[in-house]
Formats: sequence, C-alpha cells, structure tokens
Amino acid sequence: MRYNVLIGGKAGQGIDTLATLLSAALAKAGFYVFNAHEYESLIRGGHSYNNVCFSDKPSFSYDTKIDFLIALDELTYELHQKELTEKALIITSDSKLKSKFTDDRFIFVDSATLGRSSNLALLGAFTKILGLDKDIVLQGVRHKFKEDKATLEVTEQFYGREYTFNLHLTKSEEKGEMFTGSEALAQGALDAGVQRYFGYPMTPATALMTLLAKKQSENLFVFLAENEIAAINIAIGCSFAGKISMVGTSGGGFDLMTEALSMQGMMELPLVIHLAQRAGPSTGVPTGTSQADLNVALYGGHGEFPRVILAPGDAEETYEKTIEAFYLAEKFGVSSLILTDKHLLESAYTTQLSPLNIIIPPRENFAGNGLFKRNSYEHDTQWNTSEDPVVIKSSSDERKNKLLRIKEEASKFKGYTLFGKGDTLIIGFGSTKGAMLDALPHLEGYTYLHLVCIEPFLDEVKKMISEAKEILVIENNSVGQLADLISGKCAREITPENRILKFDARPFTPEFIIAELHHRKRGD
Amino acid sequence: MALSTDYKITWCPGCPDFIIKKAIEKAVQELITKGYKQEDFVMVTDIGCNSKIYDYLNLSGFYGLHGRTIPAALGVKIGNPKLTVIGIAGDGGTLNEGLDHFIHACRYNTDITFLLFNNQVFSLTTGQATATTEEGFMEKTHPSGVKEKPLNPVVLALEAGATFVARTSSLDLGGMSQIIQEAIVHKGFSFVDIIQPCIVYHDTSDFLRKNCYKIEPMDLPKAIEEARKWDYAPQGKIPMGIFYQVKEETFEEKNGLK
Repeated sequence: MRYNVLIGGKAGQGIDTLATLLSAALAKAGFYVFNAHEYESLIRGGHSYNNVCFSDKPSFSYDTKIDFLIALDELTYELHQKELTEKALIITSDSKLKSKFTDDRFIFVDSATLGRSSNLALLGAFTKILGLDKDIVLQGVRHKFKEDKATLEVTEQFYGREYTFNLHLTKSEEKGEMFTGSEALAQGALDAGVQRYFGYPMTPATALMTLLAKKQSENLFVFLAENEIAAINIAIGCSFAGKISMVGTSGGGFDLMTEALSMQGMMELPLVIHLAQRAGPSTGVPTGTSQADLNVALYGGHGEFPRVILAPGDAEETYEKTIEAFYLAEKFGVSSLILTDKHLLESAYTTQLSPLNIIIPPRENFAGNGLFKRNSYEHDTQWNTSEDPVVIKSSSDERKNKLLRIKEEASKFKGYTLFGKGDTLIIGFGSTKGAMLDALPHLEGYTYLHLVCIEPFLDEVKKMISEAKEILVIENNSVGQLADLISGKCAREITPENRILKFDARPFTPEFIIAELHHRKRGD
Repeated sequence: MALSTDYKITWCPGCPDFIIKKAIEKAVQELITKGYKQEDFVMVTDIGCNSKIYDYLNLSGFYGLHGRTIPAALGVKIGNPKLTVIGIAGDGGTLNEGLDHFIHACRYNTDITFLLFNNQVFSLTTGQATATTEEGFMEKTHPSGVKEKPLNPVVLALEAGATFVARTSSLDLGGMSQIIQEAIVHKGFSFVDIIQPCIVYHDTSDFLRKNCYKIEPMDLPKAIEEARKWDYAPQGKIPMGIFYQVKEETFEEKNGLK
C-alpha cells in the first residue's frame, strides 16, 4: 500500500505543523513516511500545502494523485480537485465546501470556532479515520507544544468523535524517525564537531542556521552576519584561528561568497559550505526546488583551486555526507561544498541516523599556536607574497595535485550508489534519488546511478559511465548541467533526447519519471 | 623574534607607510614588555600599499581580500578571543569596497583594533579617488574632478557605536605609536584614522604638518561635533587624538566566547 495525503490551506493556518505531526504519528505506527512542503514566498495567506506519502514499503517521494485531501480552505479543493483519485476522501474544516458534496466521501470537521487550532482538530479527526493509535497522536502533540493543555484537548476532542470512515491501519514496528534534510544536515554538522556557523537568511538555507542556533554551547557559536560576504570571511578568519567553521547560503548568497571561496583555495584554511539550491536565476522562485547551481558550485570563484562537492539525496545520506565534508575539509584544507536542494532540505524522510566511524583530524597549525600566516596573494612555502614564476608554478601544481590526493581519500567513502538492474544507466543527483527509487520498481531495464561525490569526479564512476550501453541523465534544471559535466569527464555525448529535465521549481515524482521513460521507449 | 622580517620592502622611498610600520612596531614592542605575547598578535590586512606590511612584520598574519579585512579580523577574534587582533586597511578597502563591514564592526564592538591607513586615494592602482578624497580632486578616472563630498569615517564610527575612536598623523611617530598602543589596550572595537599623505598621488604632507591640533577624549555629542570640524579637504585644521572612549561589553563577552 502507498497512500498520498495532501494537506492545504493558507500560510499561517498551521499546514506544515499538521503534516509534521501526522507524519510523526504515521512513522511511529510503523509506516515509511515522506513529507514534502510546498509554499509561496509570503508570510500569511496564499496557498501552502504538504504532500504526505505513507507506505508499508520504503518511500522517498510523493505522488500527485491524492487519496486523502485535507483542506483548510476552499482554494485547496479548487486547486487540487483534479489530482483526486476516484475514491479519495475529502476532509475539510471550511464550511463553504459543504454545499459542493452530497456523498459520504466528504467529511466536514466543524472546527471554525477554534481559529488557529483548527489544524489540530483536523489532525485528531484524520488520525481517527486512519485508525492510528490515540496515544501515538497525542504524544506527538505533547512533544511539539511542550505540554500545552489546550492543544492537547482539541486534538483529543476531535479524535474522540465518530466519523463515517475508519480504515483501521495496522500498526507495525517503527522503521525510523522523521528527519528533514535540514535536520539531518544539522545533526551531521554537530556530530562532526562544528564550532562556528555563519550565515545570512536565505531560503532554503536558513533552517540549518536556525537549527544550529538552538544547539549553541560553549563549543558552538552561530552568528547572522551583515551579509554573505562577511559570513564567509568571518568563517575563514575563525578557521585561521583553529575552529571548525561552516557557512550556509543559497544561490545569490553563494555568488557573493565566491570571491572568498577563491581566497580559501589560496589560503587552504578548512571550510564547509552548505549550498542550498532553489530555483533561479536571480531571485527566481525562492521557495521552489531546483538543481541549477551545480555549475556555480563547480566553477564559482576565480582562478584554479581544488574543492569538494558532495550532493546527498535523502536525510540519511545528508547526515553521512555532511560528516565526510567536514573530514575532507579539515584533512586537506579545502572547501567542502554540501550541495543540497529545497526539496531535500524541507522534505522529511523516515530515517535512522547512525553515527559514522570518522574522526575529524585535529588541527596542528593555527593562529595562537606559534607564528601562523596565510596569504591571499600567491606565496612561497613560508606564506610570503611572491611573484616569482618558479614559485607561482610550483604553488599552482601543488593546488592541482591536492585534488588527486582528495580523490584518493574521497573514493574510500560511498561516492555513488547503484539501484536496480538494467542496460540503461540513468544518472542523477540530490533529491532526485527519492522519486527515482520509488519509480524503479515500476520500470524495467534501468539502473539508477545516484551520484553523490561530484567533485572530485571518481575514476570508478567515470569507468562505469564510459562502459554503459546507454545513458540518460535526470536533473532538476533546464539545460542538463550534470549531463554536461559527465559529457566532459567521460568523453561521451549526451544528446538533448537523453536528458530528462524538469524545471518548474517542483521536484520529480515517480509518475513523472515513469511517464517520461515510457514516452522515450515508445519514441514519441 | 625580531618584529621586522628581512622581506624586501617595496613601498616608495619616503612613503609614510615606513613611519606607520615603525609606530606599530614600537606599540607592539612596548606591549610585549607589558606582558602581551608576540605570538598572540594577529595582523589581518587588506589589499593595497598599506597591507604589504603583512610581509614585513614577524607577526601571525592573514593577508585577506580587498575590503574584507574587518570580517576576517572579526572571525579571527571570534575564533580565538585570546588573540590580539589588529586589522589594517586603506580608505578604499574600508570605505568604498567594504563600508558595510566597518559600520557593523562598530556596532558589534568586537575587541579588535582597526587601523585605517587613510591616504585619501587608491595608490597601488595608480591614484583613483576614494570615499575620502576631497571634492574637486583631479585624476585619470575623474578628468573633470571628483564631484562628490568625502565621507568622514570618524563621524561614522562615532555614530555607529565604536567604543574607541581616534585620529592620528602618519607624520607623528610618537603620537601615532601612543594612540595605536591605547587602541590595542582598549577592550572593544578601536578605530584609528591615520591621516597619511601619498607622496606620489595625493601629497598632503605640507598641509598635514602645519594644520593639526591636539584634542582630549570627550563625550559623544561633543566628539561628533569635533569630528565634523575637518571634512578631509586640504584646508582648515585637523583635530588629532582620541575623540571618544567608553567601556562597553564586548561582542565576545556578550556571547560568552572563550
């Protein structure tokens, strides 16, 4: 079984809270849950919704067909009615919708007097309809609202009512907890021992700053700088003073950081950068997902210097790759970019995070521990400024060769994963993994190569791609940036027909992928 | 370890940068005799003639980007508050490229010392006008003269909340060294506006030699009034000394950084 719930309403009505509480309860009841959040760039009003997909099998995406519509307003029904399956249940707290239905697939939850707690009334009602355990539901509410009695009462009151449906879902063993990509990233950074984090608010990178700010301690300091340029320069200054430092931003903010990224390449002070992709160019679609900043991650910054780019595809992988990013940054004095996207960061996955056996190498040299110099100019081995052609050449060689050493080390980690078995290799990165994994069981003849370590580009990956019979590249952008990279690295042309691209600021869904591949097979 | 390195100095012969370097060395040397440790000093420099001092002093150094001295210096201090951090940058880097950082640093009150080598011109790029160049100044990118009024960094620092604001002349070794020392000792963001002739592109040597007068610290409104008395044009009299000093909790103290 795999069910899709769409919960929609106005921003400010607690849509995401309702979806998060529902997801947690479903996960506790033993389901694999995936919860994605779509919203507009506004504070109150508009249309905001979550897609919650739950299944008895591992599930990393949602479908656009809706089995349960929870509408907190009329607009939600209007916008999503065409996505409803024939047997879909509609649960609403908006009385304006009442007149539209005559059959019993429509359930009205009278919570108008509750104002902002209406979402909890719907939570109580819907979890009752699903037949989820009452204690599990209330436990989540209690946890979220810190024992607030009123919220608990509303949920309990509406759970206590009788509805025309009860699906009696069977409870099984818990598979994991719900983690968003951002939460997994924060946990990874904390477990890697991050000591300083600097940023400037920008969707979808802000959540990490918020999560880390809550965890501040004697060891961790988080600061919102005057802008992204300051944030990265402060971070590199901290790294100079011996601290494990990190910054985070999205496209435009990263553009501002690239001058200092280049300086990092010259100074070789360890730095971890979280680059959260959203739809661009320019201000673009701030709350929309995208994978169009791969090129700027690869090539941003002037001059030539090594960097690491890791692009995880789900919460668990985000946790692991974050720790590896810190490890590589500290070991090689390099910038490690964790390349994520909005869909990965803001979606919650049913996950178990298990600590990695990676020890971040301790710093030997830093300011305050003897004479310590770092230079943004070309320099000799003592960090003195130099314009000597011999020094310039050897320093450039050194930077170039460092990437080879990084590659050797990075290949010890899982830089890619293969899923399924078939002659056609589909290559993707980032959050695409979720929709691909859920699409694969419905497809025949495909292997999915989920690429995580993008820079350095691993030899094994190169070999595999070079030897593949047929290649398709799937990504969330309009030109095929990953396809271009692969073309260059593996000397293999990837024609426009072999690029599966989606660039409507929305993520891939299994349905979309299945339909695309069927079209291609039929040749239409 | 001697404070000077044997790196070949490439400042123009006769440049006041030599005197400023001496003043910094003198201040640091005296502080070392008072218990400061040479290895705890960190110099964060910008890009420009002034910042070449990175290569000339045996102090830990961060030779950063143009306009970004202040955030880098802030970072070093936030990274390890035990370090004695001195930021060095020119008027172009500080007041053109990186002005936002300067204002915010005054507001944050991080315990760093910031020395503005203010020669009122971009020298290393051959003489273009900066934010402190006087109206009417002619140079290649302004063939009919600069049309904008200069920015007064002392007024700006006072308004933005700096807790130590001073001005000194690069031609006065003793006075300069004394003020730099006091700036370093001050707990909080210390700003020193070092007025400096560029003997090639903006030579105010004569004017500077003849038109300075000494001031003593005063309260904030008076300090702002006093700072407004000179507008960075080569006319009138220049107040020199500490305008304002106040003890306030530093950024590191407020945030419990150790």
